[in-house]
Amino acid sequence: MSVATRPGRHIPFRGKDERELDAEVDFVVVGSGAGGATAAVTLARSGASVAIVEAGAWRDPEDYPHSAYGGMRDLMEDWSTQVARGRALWPVVQARTMGGTTVVNSAICVRTPDDIFAQWETEHGVRDLKQRVLAAEDRVEREITVEEVPPASRGRSNILAKRGGDLLGWSDSHYMRRYTSGCEGAGQCLQGCTKRRKQSMNLNYIPETRARGGLIVSSAPVDRVMSDGPRAVGVTGRFVHPTTRAEGTRFRIHARKAVVVAASVTHSPLLLLRSGVRSPALGKFFRSHPGTGVFGCYDDPIDMNVGATQGWASIAFRQDPGLKLETLAIPPELVASRFSGGGTLLMSRLAEFRHVAMWCLAVRAETVGTISPSLFGHRPVVHYDMVPADMERARKGVKLLAQQHFAAGAKEIIPGIVGMPFKLTKDEIGVLDDAPLDPRCYVAILSHLFGGCVMGNDPRTSVVDSRGRVHGWERLIVADASVIPTNLGVNPQHTIMGLAATFAADLVGG
Amino acid sequence: MTPLVRAAIILLYPRTELMPGADDCDLDAFLERFRREASPIVWIGIVAGALLFHLSPVFTVGVPLPAFALSPEKADLHADRIANSSIYLVRQSIFLVKFAAGMAWGAHPRVRERFAMAPLPPDPGTWRTS
Repeated sequence: MSVATRPGRHIPFRGKDERELDAEVDFVVVGSGAGGATAAVTLARSGASVAIVEAGAWRDPEDYPHSAYGGMRDLMEDWSTQVARGRALWPVVQARTMGGTTVVNSAICVRTPDDIFAQWETEHGVRDLKQRVLAAEDRVEREITVEEVPPASRGRSNILAKRGGDLLGWSDSHYMRRYTSGCEGAGQCLQGCTKRRKQSMNLNYIPETRARGGLIVSSAPVDRVMSDGPRAVGVTGRFVHPTTRAEGTRFRIHARKAVVVAASVTHSPLLLLRSGVRSPALGKFFRSHPGTGVFGCYDDPIDMNVGATQGWASIAFRQDPGLKLETLAIPPELVASRFSGGGTLLMSRLAEFRHVAMWCLAVRAETVGTISPSLFGHRPVVHYDMVPADMERARKGVKLLAQQHFAAGAKEIIPGIVGMPFKLTKDEIGVLDDAPLDPRCYVAILSHLFGGCVMGNDPRTSVVDSRGRVHGWERLIVADASVIPTNLGVNPQHTIMGLAATFAADLVGG
Repeated sequence: MTPLVRAAIILLYPRTELMPGADDCDLDAFLERFRREASPIVWIGIVAGALLFHLSPVFTVGVPLPAFALSPEKADLHADRIANSSIYLVRQSIFLVKFAAGMAWGAHPRVRERFAMAPLPPDPGTWRTS
């Protein structure tokens, strides 16, 4: 075997007419999002040679798109067209770019709640993680910087949300802490921060891994993990062009010590399946935080795209009824289809764009779904059908957001529920108690995905153990949100990074 | 099929006294680019949505004509009713057309100016090649 690389190198797309990539390192990490990048840098700091293999292209802030169209084309998986199959077809939002979803999320940093570790222990036999994961989260916060949304960058929507939550006496109404450094409030989180303020993985841990001699391979979706019996020995796949999607040449990256899979909740289970992992729990126990938004209509302009895209949140309702509330500013491109109707009536609604603010709920859902391969095996198919109890939670969340808007001074709200009036006044929101519970009546997305390769001590009900090791395999680790066996009820990036750092440290005796 | 898609979009996002319509937003150039860049399955979905839009006025306004042949008043009524259809798959099909068209409409400088927003720079479409 030839070692065709030298240290500290980035290898982008290679066409079919170019030579195949054949390399050998200590550790191969599949995926470059919060889990993969954190695992990679932890391994690289130990002195090991590391390769990161990412399905998407490597885009720097200068390369980021500015429009929502460009964001879907350049940064998202399949133009964000993947939808969960169930009664309702709700989009499953994931990025496909160097840095993964950290490039397009709002960089919200929330420590793993204590009750989650307790739940993992009692329900899944996962022990001895709490101290190490929390220590890793501390370290991440120091390294990539975390700040509360700066006052000058809050924008009216976030300020009004804080005011509304405070006036309602919510116990936890706060400006978010995010992985940003000097946020300018450009309102471009969802297309990638061209100001370089958001600390996505492509700006820190991935360059550091490279600087420590790492090999970074982009536009390289992995087909399968190579194995020697039940021992992972590397990965193989074929380059795919970032724009034309044309297939390029093959790559094979051999791992002397281990393969770390962090390809996302939807792709990690499929990659293991294609690689010969046979676990009854593989692709099972998929969970998410389904979310929808409520608009408030105000007399004065809100200009919600001025200021942090997401700057306020509350977890006051995390336990009962099971909700997280937060702001989310979306651009005119998305409001255009988010408002119901068509024709001149739609245009009259859109004319109010400057006066609306969208705030969201994320359901800490008990619904459990599955991830399975498509007919030809490479595309993940998510089955997810919201149970009535979760729809009740969503309905309660809509009313809470409506009350918050009115407390903040809104004159009307737009609930966005089919079968309800387009707008409701403060005196009318009682009708939300009878809003339909059919998920098809809501415009929602599945964000914050969990499971598919869940951890636990029982191989019948889990795919990996509490150190991320695939049951029955050697040198094969999973280090992304797919190992998380429960819903968190908070934004998951910090937990993912804490787990990945812990699993990687275990690999190098840290 | 592009003219049918275009006609559906213009009826869904018409020009009004207050707002520029999709027809004011370089729609032809957008559709050409979208058709070239989007995956075939996305484009097929939008064409299917546009066909549904044009073939359904008999169910929404009781007129057995395609939407592009309706009077302006009937077409406007049809656009709102079909987008609010009680049948989920119909609603989702029209949503797909609205979603794609919203990308052109909402990002256009004339619309952004109306919302006191600066024009968007062009998307670079670049990535690291070394």
